[in-house]
Amino acid sequence: MIDQQIATRQVLWNITHDWVMYVLFAVSLAIAGYGIYLRLSIWRRGVAVDRFDRPAERIKLLLRHALLQGRTVRERYAAIFHSFIFTGFIILFIATTVVMLDHRFGIPIMRGAFYLYFQSFVVDVFGAMVLVGVGIATVRRAVIRPKKLVYTDEALRILALIFLMALTGFLIEGWRIAATNDPWGAWSPFGYLVARLSESLMSVETMTTAHLWTWWLHSALVFGFIAWAPYTKLIHILTGPLNIYTARLDPSGVILKTLDFENQDAPLGVKTLANFTWKDLADFDACTECGRCTQVCPANTVGKSLSPRDIILDLRDLIRAGGSDPMLAFEQPVVNAVPATAAEALWECTTCGACMEACPVFIEQMPKILDLRRFQVMEESDFPETMQEAITSLESRGHPFRGTQSTRVDWAEGLNVSIMADARDADVLFWVGCGGALIERNQKVVRATARLLEKAGVRFAILGREEKCTGDPARRIGNEFLYDMMVRENVDLLNGYGVKQIVTSCPHCFNTFLNEYPQFGGRFEVWHHSEFLSKLIEDGRLALSEKLDASVTFHDPCYLGRHNGRFDAPRQIVRIASRSSVEMAQTRENGFCCGGGGGMSFVDEPKDKRVNQERARQALETGADVVAVGCPFCMTMLEDGINARKGDRDVRVMDVAEILWQTMEVESKK
Amino acid sequence: MNIIVCLKQILDPEVPARDFRIDAEKKEAVRGTANLVTNIFCENALETALQLREKTGGRITALVFAPESGEDALRKALAMKADEAVLVINDGHPHPDPLAVAHVLAAAISKIGVFDLVMVGRESGDWGVGQTGGLLAEELGVPCISFVDNLENGTDGLIVTRQTDNGWEKARSTTPLVVTITNNEYNVPRIPKTRDIMMSARQPITRLTLDEIGVDAASIRAGGNYYEIVDISIPVKEVTCEFVTGDSLDERVDQFAKRIIEVTQAL
Repeated sequence: MIDQQIATRQVLWNITHDWVMYVLFAVSLAIAGYGIYLRLSIWRRGVAVDRFDRPAERIKLLLRHALLQGRTVRERYAAIFHSFIFTGFIILFIATTVVMLDHRFGIPIMRGAFYLYFQSFVVDVFGAMVLVGVGIATVRRAVIRPKKLVYTDEALRILALIFLMALTGFLIEGWRIAATNDPWGAWSPFGYLVARLSESLMSVETMTTAHLWTWWLHSALVFGFIAWAPYTKLIHILTGPLNIYTARLDPSGVILKTLDFENQDAPLGVKTLANFTWKDLADFDACTECGRCTQVCPANTVGKSLSPRDIILDLRDLIRAGGSDPMLAFEQPVVNAVPATAAEALWECTTCGACMEACPVFIEQMPKILDLRRFQVMEESDFPETMQEAITSLESRGHPFRGTQSTRVDWAEGLNVSIMADARDADVLFWVGCGGALIERNQKVVRATARLLEKAGVRFAILGREEKCTGDPARRIGNEFLYDMMVRENVDLLNGYGVKQIVTSCPHCFNTFLNEYPQFGGRFEVWHHSEFLSKLIEDGRLALSEKLDASVTFHDPCYLGRHNGRFDAPRQIVRIASRSSVEMAQTRENGFCCGGGGGMSFVDEPKDKRVNQERARQALETGADVVAVGCPFCMTMLEDGINARKGDRDVRVMDVAEILWQTMEVESKK
Repeated sequence: MNIIVCLKQILDPEVPARDFRIDAEKKEAVRGTANLVTNIFCENALETALQLREKTGGRITALVFAPESGEDALRKALAMKADEAVLVINDGHPHPDPLAVAHVLAAAISKIGVFDLVMVGRESGDWGVGQTGGLLAEELGVPCISFVDNLENGTDGLIVTRQTDNGWEKARSTTPLVVTITNNEYNVPRIPKTRDIMMSARQPITRLTLDEIGVDAASIRAGGNYYEIVDISIPVKEVTCEFVTGDSLDERVDQFAKRIIEVTQAL
């Protein structure tokens, strides 16, 4: 046995003129650098926004989602091949650095056990993983062909290049091992395999020559890779981590920018690419073309034209098509500039945020759609008529529903509910919301909620006729101006009453109060009714001994769930108050929108492309007797969808508060 | 072409029926939490004017006779891109009769000066009297065409389309002219651009008092004497249910027929 202490290998071996390699390296770095500079110069065109605050949180995000590939691995197939290639690249990069430190800088680290275990064995295994990864990726692209991918020659060239880089690496390693009769050769199992196989086919001389040429080929491939990467989607090697580092840190409910209506020079919303923030522009270059955003987009799923992936890619390509003068793309309006930003597609977004949640590199697709909506609404006044009606109604009536015959207090008839103006000492404001007060079906929900609050002895009051919309629909439709006015008015009203705690059964109101009102000086303790009721049960203020004799599946409202990470409270109610509960296939952060967000509940969808029917199908698939909701808009959308699809089955849609109240009623009847 | 569009500000007619109250004493609707909005036919008139201006050029002056709150209607008209705004301040009776209003508008229009066309809504969504347009033409001494839904520039004068019970009539008219505008699918009022709403807040509004336009301010403030509101009430829908009794079917049918005759005769 030879002493492992002296184990190492001869660097370069039969390569001379290795200075050429450094020249090539420098050239490739320069070309890559220019590519990166081009991208940077585009981003600099964007509007300033600070995305470098709170570094500790950002580093954590970076470790979790860049280094540990947190989101990438959510898709099993991609998880395998991408981590193979990704970790392979990291290990091979370290290995190359070790060679350089040892050989060029004379730091003797490539020795002994480290050489054998890491530099030989580990590196060899990870190199092989790259080859396998490329193979799996190729099978996906060539054989499985999922719809979400973008099929470009570039993608195939990238796979071919990586494959060749790794393959030539193994060849030169193997030939060196064989030709130099490396005593440690077996520590590099795959190189060793090449060595043993070659020995039977080639003479030492042939191997030496082949090594020489292949070595230079390998170098050329690697430097070519470095030089070419920034001009392809491979730039995500750099922009991906950057995008993750500069991602929004707050819940996605806080993501929309407020506008300064005093400074009237800039367009309201985004007219040209120059009105996007630098981060928006960087998003385009971070895209890996994985297609997950479009795959999860409810509008796209039901066959509408909206495709968040294509919005990102079409705009990226529009900028790049400018070639030497990319600024050309910055002069035209973004809406209708490319197929993906066609005006009609913008009005299909439910702002559910599934695209953002799915993106492995934290691209913010939905806010861009909102920016374009803002321009269409505020500068062009060009948006769907039914949304216009909602806006007009918000302006003159403080609620988005045209022609409602209900008043704000009809639902409370016969209940002993205090009005804030008469009960200023109330602990809690029950914010009923337009959807709760004015849509007949939902009046039962707010009624149940109020009775539960009463039963638990909560001292609450409502605003009654003084209540107006929080402004959420105005904001999601894109009328930030109206939203801004409504919020200020409401903040004054609420602060005037000294409101501290708000309970609401509408997740849209919940999100707006929780995340958006603080920007206007409205700071309240905000509860979704499911959370508040769940806490009342926990505190023993609401006791229930009966259960609803039904199997229940809970549908996550986007603005409670995905946008604010509240998944458990409504489920807890369902669990306590019903016989059994089941989950739909797409649930919690992967929940599928009811189709009613983003002002879409004011739009009549084409009969064959209805998001609510798709969600109803998913709900019916669980076999549950009751579809539980926690949102007045989900209620309307899903009830329509379920009724259209349930056939002979007896399936009901109920709010969690109704389920809870029903168990109490059963109990009191006994 | 100089167009003057008269706009009336009314109580939002979309207030839910259950929230609608009247003040029997004052003989008017109680405002409650309802907003003031521009009467829809007046907005149709403004929209028609804007479309006509796009074809013929010219200026549009929005004219409102209302208390200070009327500024909102004018701001919206400016946001929709009217060129000028004039508010005649009503500091008297909240609901002057149509003749009084026509009198005020005519005086204000004379004060504004030259005009080719005056456009008003065919009726208002609050009182629905529908006479102001005709009376205004009378006051101005110019012809009036009612229920108009389209105007075009013809070779000699305007081609005016008016809706009738049986279809449409087309008339050719010289100017000056008063038209009352009704709605069709093309004159749905545009939603102003936010940018224009913001600009409208800074545009000037000409304010005129009743004294400045030279009318008999006292009689206008009293509400005029064209007609008198004697009484107002909300119609009540009454449903009573009665069961017809009888031992046999024939007897019940007889009873039923008898009651129908009694009830219909009572009406």
